[in-house]
Amino acid sequence: MRVLVAEDHGRLATAIAEGLRREGMAVDIAFDGGDALRHVAVHRYDVVVLDRDLPLVHGDEVCRRLREEQNNSRVLMLTAASTIRDRVDGLGIGADDYLTKPFDFEELVARVRALARRSTPALPPTLAHGDLTLDPARRTAVRGDVPLALSPKEFAVLEYLLAADGRVVSAEELLEGVWDEAANPFTNTVKTTVGRLRAKLGEPPLIETVREGGYRI
Amino acid sequence: MRLTLFYAGLFLLLGTVLLAIVYVLASRGSTIDVAVPAPVVRRALKLPGGGVVLLPPTGPATDVVSQQHNADFDRLLTVSWIVLLVTTAGAAVLGWFAAGRVLRPVREITATARTISAGNLHERLALTGPNDEFKQLGDTLDDLLGRLEASFEAQRRFVANASHELRTPLTLERTLLQVALANPNATEETLRATCEELVASQVDHERLLEALLTLASSERGLERREPVDLPALVDATLRQLGPKLDRRRLATTVALHAASTTGDQALVARLIANLIDNAIDHNVDGGSVEIRTETLDGRAVLTVGNTGALIPPGETERLFEPFQRMDRTRTADDGHHGLGLSIVRAIAVAHDADVAATPRAGGGLTVTIRFPPQPQPPLA
Repeated sequence: MRVLVAEDHGRLATAIAEGLRREGMAVDIAFDGGDALRHVAVHRYDVVVLDRDLPLVHGDEVCRRLREEQNNSRVLMLTAASTIRDRVDGLGIGADDYLTKPFDFEELVARVRALARRSTPALPPTLAHGDLTLDPARRTAVRGDVPLALSPKEFAVLEYLLAADGRVVSAEELLEGVWDEAANPFTNTVKTTVGRLRAKLGEPPLIETVREGGYRI
Repeated sequence: MRLTLFYAGLFLLLGTVLLAIVYVLASRGSTIDVAVPAPVVRRALKLPGGGVVLLPPTGPATDVVSQQHNADFDRLLTVSWIVLLVTTAGAAVLGWFAAGRVLRPVREITATARTISAGNLHERLALTGPNDEFKQLGDTLDDLLGRLEASFEAQRRFVANASHELRTPLTLERTLLQVALANPNATEETLRATCEELVASQVDHERLLEALLTLASSERGLERREPVDLPALVDATLRQLGPKLDRRRLATTVALHAASTTGDQALVARLIANLIDNAIDHNVDGGSVEIRTETLDGRAVLTVGNTGALIPPGETERLFEPFQRMDRTRTADDGHHGLGLSIVRAIAVAHDADVAATPRAGGGLTVTIRFPPQPQPPLA
């Protein structure tokens, strides 16, 4: 899952990003509205955590433009304004969800996850394939009765492949959806991770390599 | 109502005066001597069935004439009074309508003014018509409403910005704490680092609270008036900020001539500190800061100038508004909160001083504070 955090308070942005990364998400940060729009133009995000009060381009404007361009990212608005009027306005502009500051971090994580599930097609809370069950919220994966010890990236790749539901996923797509902008696209990171994941999944093999295409469960 | 009664009363008065004149003129009568043979006038009784009965003759004709004269005169007076009262009534009614029409703009103003409250301050009376007293009244009230609306708007913006700024440190602190607690691999080191971050955030938060309180209290006015020696305060501030000036390698030019005023020492010290702080932070490395105190035309003058980014002419006013930052691309945690110059202005206003900010041609800003002239102490 890839998330963009758009927040002009530098330390707060990095704290949120750190917390979300520990929950297994790939997180990019934008410090102003212009930066946020640039990020969204280049990468695909499942969720954009958007502070309303951004310099350069106001958060409301960023949200409006996302909707106009029919961007599929879900938007969770953050703001210190807390009257009902402000919340209604925020949702009216096109946000999918709204959190007022100060918020509980757990709640932010839960709402971000819930929004990510709502991308088309809607996903169930737990993903399964054959005897493999994966719970994104609890970060657990079980095959048969055996719990799997997966690294955060391996878990995220498995989650992505399961969500694709039989569709072929290219290595580029995995890189885009599971790693953040800090990742080097020219290394073998994806291939190595898939290899390690296969090893941990065991027999019978679940991940199929499609020639010239990518991977598929 | 008052207008109608007044008008009707005037009319009655004038009418009575008119009547009185007529009465006086008529009662004197026009006497002419007419020699006519005194006719014999006999009075006659009219009988019910028709016919007339002659009565015995009475006095000479003049009696009859004068009696007739009196009778006619009485009737004139009576009729005149009746006519006067009727026309007064008529005048009152017409006056009522006329006053109503002329005063309609005033009623409109009253009605509109009643409906305008904090919720719809954008409405205006916008009277049309000739430029008479009513239109001027309407226009003056519209100006007043405009100023009220601007003031309410500024208030509302301030509260919104202040609440945002005050909540941000709380959000940061809570996020830092919760993320640290949720970390299964937390070591003593990481927890310690989080604690230190929290302290830094709290220091910043406290600074913000203090700034807001200073702003609020200086807008309230001065509580005490004591002699204030500007050069001494500038000197003290520079000693504190010296390291900061050195860090940014700023060339400092200080010219402190005698300049004193009366006011609140702590607030003026705050004003000086904010100005110099501002001059340092919005500067370029290797740039310069000029500070000058002097007395011109009996007024203490403080000037602080700095090199730095180019400031477009229309922007200087905005810099003095709370929470506005010059450089909108800067992230929000630079410890300033955009209150520095608005506090400077509030303190200056509390001291009845003028504040002028002029952008410099090569970039940077010069701020001049002119304190009011001090009353000369009476000679002993």
